[in-house]
Amino acid sequence: MRQHAVRILAIAGAATLALSACGRDSGGGGGDGDGGEVEASPGITDEEITFGITTPLSGPTAGPGTCTVAGVTAYMERRNEEGGIEFGDGQTRTVQIRSYDDAYDPSRAVSNFRQMINDGVFGDILSLGTPTNLAVMPLANEQEVPQVFLTTGASQFSEDPEANPYTMGLVPTYKGEGEAFGALLAEAGEPITVAVLAQNDDFGEDYVEGLEAGIDGSDVEIVARATYEPADTSIDAQVTDLADSDADVFFNANSQHNLAVQSLLQAQQLGWTPRVFLPSNTSSVSDVLEPGSADAFPGVYTTQSAKDPNDPEFADDEEVVQFQEDMEQYASNITTTFVPHCAWSYAAGAALEDAFTRMEQPTRESFMEAVRSIEDLDAPMLLDGVTINTTEPGVPPISDVEVTEFNGEKYEITDGY
Amino acid sequence: MTTTQTSPAPARARLSEWWQRRWVRIAAVVLVALIALGAPLNLTQYAVYQVTMMAAFAVAVLGLNIIMGYGGQVSLGQAAFLGLGAYVSAYGVTHGWNIVLVFVAACLVPAVVGWLIALAAARLRGLAIAMVTITLPIVGIPLARRFDEVTGGSGGLTVSFMQAPEWTGLATDQWRYYVVLAVTVAFFLLARNFLRGRMGRALAIVRDNESVALAMGVSPYRYKVLAFTVSALYGGCAGFLYLVGVQYVSPETLSFATSINILAAMVIGGSASILGSLLGGVYYVLVPFVAGQVNPSRAAMYSGIILLVILFVLPGGLTSLPRALRRLRRRRDDGPGTRSTAAAGPADDGGTQAEASSQTERQQR
Repeated sequence: MRQHAVRILAIAGAATLALSACGRDSGGGGGDGDGGEVEASPGITDEEITFGITTPLSGPTAGPGTCTVAGVTAYMERRNEEGGIEFGDGQTRTVQIRSYDDAYDPSRAVSNFRQMINDGVFGDILSLGTPTNLAVMPLANEQEVPQVFLTTGASQFSEDPEANPYTMGLVPTYKGEGEAFGALLAEAGEPITVAVLAQNDDFGEDYVEGLEAGIDGSDVEIVARATYEPADTSIDAQVTDLADSDADVFFNANSQHNLAVQSLLQAQQLGWTPRVFLPSNTSSVSDVLEPGSADAFPGVYTTQSAKDPNDPEFADDEEVVQFQEDMEQYASNITTTFVPHCAWSYAAGAALEDAFTRMEQPTRESFMEAVRSIEDLDAPMLLDGVTINTTEPGVPPISDVEVTEFNGEKYEITDGY
Repeated sequence: MTTTQTSPAPARARLSEWWQRRWVRIAAVVLVALIALGAPLNLTQYAVYQVTMMAAFAVAVLGLNIIMGYGGQVSLGQAAFLGLGAYVSAYGVTHGWNIVLVFVAACLVPAVVGWLIALAAARLRGLAIAMVTITLPIVGIPLARRFDEVTGGSGGLTVSFMQAPEWTGLATDQWRYYVVLAVTVAFFLLARNFLRGRMGRALAIVRDNESVALAMGVSPYRYKVLAFTVSALYGGCAGFLYLVGVQYVSPETLSFATSINILAAMVIGGSASILGSLLGGVYYVLVPFVAGQVNPSRAAMYSGIILLVILFVLPGGLTSLPRALRRLRRRRDDGPGTRSTAAAGPADDGGTQAEASSQTERQQR
């Protein structure tokens, strides 16, 4: 028996020695660059900078998710082909983009973010989704890793740069969209009644809050309200209630394509044909307006900030031609269908390039400083008059939206209510 | 534990004889323990996080195994208990409760909810518990979204707790790993004692034949309720561990897909097996990661392929791997004439596991 004890002890001792032989690597990872006297952050060398994107590449949101990867990849691959981008510290670097699938699941987004840090990524860019990015935000700021140009319309990401210095949104907030439409109604200067249907979550609430801010102090009045749950399969009852009000405008803060179609059809069936507002996410001509036979309504409005390459008006537009070419050449293995997220992602590529030219040290801190000083950048694929501006605190880089109206074939900028 | 080794292969006989020695077993346990204790000191932060999550999900899988593998009742709601445990923990942490109280509440609240559900559901027979538990995520997600003062709505709750105390000299991720490891080991030992003891045997009888159980004075109803409650308690504990690792909870945690993934992990690890639960936890974390490394856009597809391959090759789960190898080797060693002795096989754990897994298969059908 004693002999056994000795053997156990021997094995245990050997194992302990083996395990403690190598202490934990102090981390750090990359950074062999010698940009002056400061130590380079992980993910950047004198030749290369690497970014990660955690986004839904599978599941129901995979369409927009893959687009967020495709746009910026196309932009950066074009630059890499041309030899790279000259940074503020004088080095010319190429830009690598890595993507991680989170399937819109916050715990997987957190896991992906940790993996990115482990993989020696410089920062998290363009990641799509509100709950996913919210889950990552505290971690990013704790670890001081940039989490910028997030593809989400929730206001929390750009709202408070002091509390979250390493986080920034990209696209117009849902609130901003609602407010733009509210302002359009208020400008009409006549009494207008509005019926509001909102998804019962932050998405819907943000739109309604924006609308209320936009119509504040005008003759426009909200006369009926209804909400539904994102998981609902039918909203006929809510639409029927709203139709009862016979309002002039149907404000439809809805993020689900099938429900948006259903609401349009139900309103027609009840003989209620108001002017309709749809969020930019849910206003696709082919997916929503055509199946919902939107021609029946006197006007269908949405907001837009990016050019639609399928719009014949932009067929000869230089930026659109270049975009199509880059997408075809560098991103056709990622996605071939267009949603606005592709254009936003592409425009963000230009914003990154702009920031790089002012980034004087190869550090995350210097990068954030540069990213927060983009002034009225006329980025490709954004509508004329829409610019990227990060100097104004509390609003996302793309804050201007144009209210557009459906003309039977496509959306065009509206000339008022 | 009697072994009736009838194999003629001398090398293998020597190996299994060697394994029978007490000191070899103890040494193996000590070795595994040392690796588990030493791992975080040598791994990267991300790897430590992954191992932490494996332990957390292993507890969830073990909970499911108690009701499904050992109890023979199909449950599709484990993610709901995990999510509930995580929400209770997050609520406690944000309100500054003592951490021990948070942990106890995270285990007990889901256990009580599970008990109430089981009181009603266990009266029904067949797949009724499956049908009842399928509704848990369906009800849970809208509730989590609606009570946003408590749950943070669809934005979820972010917490920051379990920082490494100064005196340990550990990084926060290492400290969290040790906490999760300690809880996981404790819960695995408790489950082992529970399942090997009087209650575990009674549960096995209920699973195999309710009439026999009744005849022996074992109430199937009470044992089903008991198993379900314990299973929910383990789910809640896993929720606490999940929160320690991820530091965030949102309605998606409760989703039906998470339940199905936990169930798949259980079947792959090995139904009605404690070791299988551990392997299930490893599978749950590792496979999506590996699939993502291969190709992020096709990760779901690769996960599916791996799942199918394992189920085809090892229908009894990963724990049946040694048995499958043994059978394969025996077939090669022996002539076709000795088939019958091979079929009788060694009557160790492997045998009961085989029965158990075929039992679950029957249940699922």
